[in-house]
Amino acid sequence: MKIQNRAKICLCVSIAIMLIAAVMSLTGHGINYGIDFAGGLNLQYNMGAAYDKADVEEALKAQGIEEFVVSSVGSDGTTVQIRVPTLSSEDEVQNLQNGLESALLEKYPDMDTDNATASYVGPVAGATLVRNAVFSVLIAAALMLIYIAFRFDLFSGIAAVVGLLHDVLIMISFMVILRSVIQMNSSFIAAMLTIVGYSINNTIVIFDRIRENNKKPALAGQPRSEIVELSVKESLGRTINTTLTTLVTIVTLYILGVASIREFSLPIIIGILAGAYSANLINGYVWAALEDARLARKSQKKVA
Amino acid sequence: MKVNNRRRAKMSRKASAILALCVVLVLTIAVGYLGVHGTWLDSRGLYKLLPWLPTTDVENWPQSIALGLDLKGGVYVEYEATMSDELREEGNNFDYLLQNTMDIIAKRLTEKGYPEATVSKVGASGIRVEIPDVTDPAAVLDLIGSPAKLEFLDSDGNVFMDGSALQTAYATKDENSKPAISFTLTKEGADIFGDMTAKSIGKAITIQLDGNVLMSPTVQTAIYGGQVLVTGSFTEEQAQNYALQLQSGALPLDLRQDKLDTISATLGVDALGTSVKAAIIGILIVMLIMLVRYRVAGLVADWALCIYIILLFLFIAVVPGIQLTLPGIAGVILGIGMAVDANVVIFERVKEEVRAGRPTIHAVRIGFKHAMSAVVDANITTIIAAVVLLFFGTGSVQGFATTLLLGVIASMLTAILITRFLLTCVVRIWPNPALYAANAKPAADETVKEAK
Repeated sequence: MKIQNRAKICLCVSIAIMLIAAVMSLTGHGINYGIDFAGGLNLQYNMGAAYDKADVEEALKAQGIEEFVVSSVGSDGTTVQIRVPTLSSEDEVQNLQNGLESALLEKYPDMDTDNATASYVGPVAGATLVRNAVFSVLIAAALMLIYIAFRFDLFSGIAAVVGLLHDVLIMISFMVILRSVIQMNSSFIAAMLTIVGYSINNTIVIFDRIRENNKKPALAGQPRSEIVELSVKESLGRTINTTLTTLVTIVTLYILGVASIREFSLPIIIGILAGAYSANLINGYVWAALEDARLARKSQKKVA
Repeated sequence: MKVNNRRRAKMSRKASAILALCVVLVLTIAVGYLGVHGTWLDSRGLYKLLPWLPTTDVENWPQSIALGLDLKGGVYVEYEATMSDELREEGNNFDYLLQNTMDIIAKRLTEKGYPEATVSKVGASGIRVEIPDVTDPAAVLDLIGSPAKLEFLDSDGNVFMDGSALQTAYATKDENSKPAISFTLTKEGADIFGDMTAKSIGKAITIQLDGNVLMSPTVQTAIYGGQVLVTGSFTEEQAQNYALQLQSGALPLDLRQDKLDTISATLGVDALGTSVKAAIIGILIVMLIMLVRYRVAGLVADWALCIYIILLFLFIAVVPGIQLTLPGIAGVILGIGMAVDANVVIFERVKEEVRAGRPTIHAVRIGFKHAMSAVVDANITTIIAAVVLLFFGTGSVQGFATTLLLGVIASMLTAILITRFLLTCVVRIWPNPALYAANAKPAADETVKEAK
């Protein structure tokens, strides 16, 4: 009984996190979309000479621009292309251009400011890509449910997919909650898909134990939640080890990585933790609750 | 005498296990070395050694692994899109058609093996395309192609049907083994085509692509059902190109090329270096954890992990359509963590059996047997996800799915085949249970426990 209550509390904690994110989104503090999703402004300059990327980046920072992509165009290395987030007005664009030009002209006197171009570029991770990614994940979840239902039972399939969606939703929720420290760029799609593949592993390993223990004659007649509890405990060594080894690699990346790597590794870290949380504390109990309810119905019918 | 024989048999099993381990060790080092320094044998390295691998002009794997826009750059091209007068008169929405055009270009690039290419809108009516791993701007034309506009004309030269009636097109061969393109028309298309052929018996119908006549056969009989086989004066390669262009659809808008040039990596050189450094540190820590927790078995897992990494990079190098981006590399690193998982599941089971006092050789066998269902089910569910993403996803989602699929296959191969083989050999040589699990109980302890 107590065990089931703990699972309920854990589920409530997750739902609370999702609700906080939902409320934040509805009040206009949703996901902080980066250039990949929101599009941006493309500036192009001929610097008149081979230039150092670091100088351009410094000039951008001096103008208060935090997020930017600097790349050079052509083979002679004199033309620079800069992408910055969308600015709110033409004046701001003009201000930025003036500021950049005056800073860079000091170092690059041959810089061509007359033929500079500025154009708005739409998102590279467009609506089609995102819609498609979400659609594919849903189909994948449905097929995984069918496979697990076939190899285990229907309720295991449902519980595993609920856990999967839980992990993805928690990842998205934290992207909202941590909006001031992290932006969402196209690498988030890759992060989300990684967790879809990773999180199901955790659940399967524990469900495999449940399947095995469920067949043991010594455990027959035990409440399902007790069997789940035992299975989770028996798999704990493996769960801790796997979570630790994956976390170690990804945390190393986060610590040493550049901004764009952090944008990818932080959601993954959250996803891995959410996956370990749901696999150990929620998914098995969802299965137990469904299974107990079914057995209760069955015995009721018998009595009737 | 008997005892002597048995001992001899045991000795020879041990000797063959040592020999097997040495062979695998030499193979691992050789393939790994060739992968990184392929120049050792010849200028082609491994490609020279294994000639069935798809050869390119690369010298070794690191160079043959294509990198994405963020790490290596590529080419970019900007188009100005305009709507034809006909379309305008029909009251079409420009923005909708622009989005359509962008989707078609993205699809075409994915089909040509550039899932990491990006397509975005510039200003009000421009399209910007960035293609990774291409250094020659002229190649863009081949990739995006001239718009493939399919038209069906009646005997008077009037267009009665266009590419919108097309559902699928693929290259095939006719009964005389001549290259052909097979069209499947939409339901409406099939009806129009059927009615038109019924009306035109004895007359010619012309099918043209971008104004070039593909074929102009004389209609013998009405063709209903929407299946059309086109043979004409084109080669097999042309047939494939036409089919690909038709399959991805004609571009709804007219495009004028505005800018075309190479573009450098969007991330600094240090980004790649830092990530590789992080990867190496991460892998070393993982290896250390495995060694500490599972001792000799951990050593085997570390060895299997090296083989996994070699296999995965070989796959990435030879499978077309993968451009490794920074998130891609991070995904590979995470995959390494996941590959260890199968080993962890197996070793925990082996450990349980060892602690229960079973002889190690049996513990390994039983441990593998018990762990197999979990390992197989976990990997198959991931494979299901990867295959779905590969079929339904677009662009970078597809690229990611390819890497994921390769990772899972490499991981299954190493966990199920290589780790088992190595571990079986190792326990033959060192059967002491304490080498495989902490607190291993000798059989005597077990009886004490039982007695309690």
